[in-house]
Amino acid sequence: MASISVPLGGVGATTAPRPKLSEYLRWSVDHKIIGVQYIATSLFFFIIGGALAMLIRAELLTPAQDFMVDGAAYNTLFTMHGTIMIFLWIVPVLAGFGNYFVPLMLGAKDMAFPWLNAFAFWLIPPAGLLMLLGWFIGPAEAGWTSYPPLSTHFSPDGQTLWAISLHLLGVASILGGINFIVTIRNMRPEGMKYFQMPLFIWAVLAQSVIVVLATPFLAGALTLLILDRVAGTAFFTPSQGGDVLLWQNIFWFYSHPAVYIMVLPAFGMISEILSVHARKPVFGYRMIALSSMAIALVGFTVWAHHMFTSLQPELRIPFMITSMIIAVPTGIKVFSWLGTIYGGRIRWTSAMLFAMGFISMFVIGGITGVMVASVPVDIHLHDTYFVVSHFHFVLYGGTVFGVYGALYHWWPKITGRMMDENLGKIHFALTYLSFLGTFFPQHLVGMQGMPRRVAEYAPEFQAMNIIISISGFVLGVSTFLILYNMVWSLYRGKIAGSNPWRALTLEWMTTSPPPPYNFVGDPIPFEDPYGYGTEASREYLKAMDERFVAPMLNPALRKRPDAQLPAPNPSAGD
Amino acid sequence: MAHAVSNNAPMTAEELKAEALRIDNYKFAMWLYLASEVVLFSLFIGAYAVMRLNSPEVVKSVHDSLNIWLVTANTFLLLTSSWAMVMGLRQIQRGNVQGLINWFWLVAIMGVIFMIGQYVEYHELALLGITLGFNNDQWQSFGAHFYTPTFFHGLHVFVGVIWCLLVIRNAQRGGYTIRRHVGVEIFGLYWHFVDVVWIILFTLIYLV
Repeated sequence: MASISVPLGGVGATTAPRPKLSEYLRWSVDHKIIGVQYIATSLFFFIIGGALAMLIRAELLTPAQDFMVDGAAYNTLFTMHGTIMIFLWIVPVLAGFGNYFVPLMLGAKDMAFPWLNAFAFWLIPPAGLLMLLGWFIGPAEAGWTSYPPLSTHFSPDGQTLWAISLHLLGVASILGGINFIVTIRNMRPEGMKYFQMPLFIWAVLAQSVIVVLATPFLAGALTLLILDRVAGTAFFTPSQGGDVLLWQNIFWFYSHPAVYIMVLPAFGMISEILSVHARKPVFGYRMIALSSMAIALVGFTVWAHHMFTSLQPELRIPFMITSMIIAVPTGIKVFSWLGTIYGGRIRWTSAMLFAMGFISMFVIGGITGVMVASVPVDIHLHDTYFVVSHFHFVLYGGTVFGVYGALYHWWPKITGRMMDENLGKIHFALTYLSFLGTFFPQHLVGMQGMPRRVAEYAPEFQAMNIIISISGFVLGVSTFLILYNMVWSLYRGKIAGSNPWRALTLEWMTTSPPPPYNFVGDPIPFEDPYGYGTEASREYLKAMDERFVAPMLNPALRKRPDAQLPAPNPSAGD
Repeated sequence: MAHAVSNNAPMTAEELKAEALRIDNYKFAMWLYLASEVVLFSLFIGAYAVMRLNSPEVVKSVHDSLNIWLVTANTFLLLTSSWAMVMGLRQIQRGNVQGLINWFWLVAIMGVIFMIGQYVEYHELALLGITLGFNNDQWQSFGAHFYTPTFFHGLHVFVGVIWCLLVIRNAQRGGYTIRRHVGVEIFGLYWHFVDVVWIILFTLIYLV
């Protein structure tokens, strides 16, 4: 099976009810609608953040400042680019996938608190609006890290809006995190122990623990920042008894765990995609699951590696050690993924390509991460393009590639239709190459000393920056291929059927798209969510199709969740 | 999902299971929420502690001019309100809705008196010249580090009083029974938390 572009059949491969747009534009407590609302909202902000990145690259085509009115306008650009990409694209899009798939993978009808779920989502559009409104009163220009005194004494009023907006987003995250933890703990189906959960659920669990314990720190930091800006306090002003390092400490005590908030669910997505498309059990399931939790815990002990140049020198070595320790669980994951695909019957689908692209880019980003965790290297590279390159490799080459893979993998479940695989492969090739062209040279200019966050640079960096900018523009354009593919598939895509990839996790044991109540009856999980290639798994899939999916194609039953199921088939389940 | 279980009808095994799950969902979510609150308060408390270590003479002069009796009475009141809350919970566990309502009125009233006491204290401190801003001669940045955690706590008392009134209204409408009163329990968790935070703030700010 070298390559497939058609669904592998399964039940229901002939009909797919088209989703109604109006259902997605109003308040709904259905986790699937909320999930799509998250994904659509975050894609909107992805485009805005991407447009800002294009402007940044346009300015950096020449060493002089020629495109921007002044340096402050440039500061605004990268501040809003970073903030929007992190808080309004990556975090909500991962929450969207979590919302859609955690209950489905657990065989549940909904999240533990459906109303709270909807409430958390509806905090995001107003927060995004507040963030954008900053442009009318002078937007934030202190970088996404917002260090004082830049963010207290030298920023226009938009900085206050920025802080209020992040406050709302933080509340949304915390409520979502609580909901995920309760759902995962209490709503697992009978027969699914913790170590039988799909790895995506483990990843969301680990992420939610970080969200609940770290995001309040951001809330506190922002509260103090807002007080400093509007109420005359001086928490961050040394001349008035405050401390600038206080901000750096509390901000990074949130924001370093937050980088794992931004990447752990992508780890989970990759574990799903690799196993399904390589038709092999996950290698080291327990190790992947536990390493997510280990990352969540150790992630709380490394924050000061962002402050090697501002902290007391004697604290550098301990934080260097903890930062390097965190490479161990991450390395366990990478080797487990390689072990998973090794010797598998790999289907070269777009989802699989992006998952493998994820591994390659994330390894590069991880290695540069260990480099900047080392104190002597970091002091040289601090605030250069090397750092920019490092975190784009992990956040774009990592998380965004993971999200692309997840879109190709789960889009058939969400809409009932397949995306175009050929276009998907073109999208992958363009994204992969232009990504490398954009961010790899930034390592080099960074090591040679080109500082980040400045609109002007030394003329000798220009050749490299032209390569970076042109690749960047290609990368920007390539994004529209997947957006086009998503819309195209709604109208022209092949009907997917319940389980186009023949996957074993429970979200595939219902029709695509799933009915409002998700499942008729309680689906029975397979004993091993990744037990591909065994006779038992093939029988399980057949039995689930007959028992759970086929009856739901009956239009009368689709409307009545409490309808009686046909008598159980003795061969179903374990 | 079990809906509208009456006080006397025996529950089926299904309903008991669903109800147990519902209770566990709410309680566990409340504990998680309180965990995030602990993190938030620990930040403010940490900021105060650093200020306390850096400028002990300022804190001493505030202590010298502060009326500790008012805040001590307030502390006693808040602790008592937690006891009243537990008594109310006991009543509903015995099926006595009116008892719950009576005790919870006491909780709400004590919460309101606590807030009045806090207002009076703020007023006194403001007359001394302790404000949010920096005061060069005497108080320095004590105001910001003092008002932020205490006001934030006061805000939690305010939310708690509103919540308490909602519980009372719900009880009057027959929303709680001997079997279904998880709403009362999670309010109780919250109110205890507000109490515990105050004990820490009181010790740290007023006593040491």
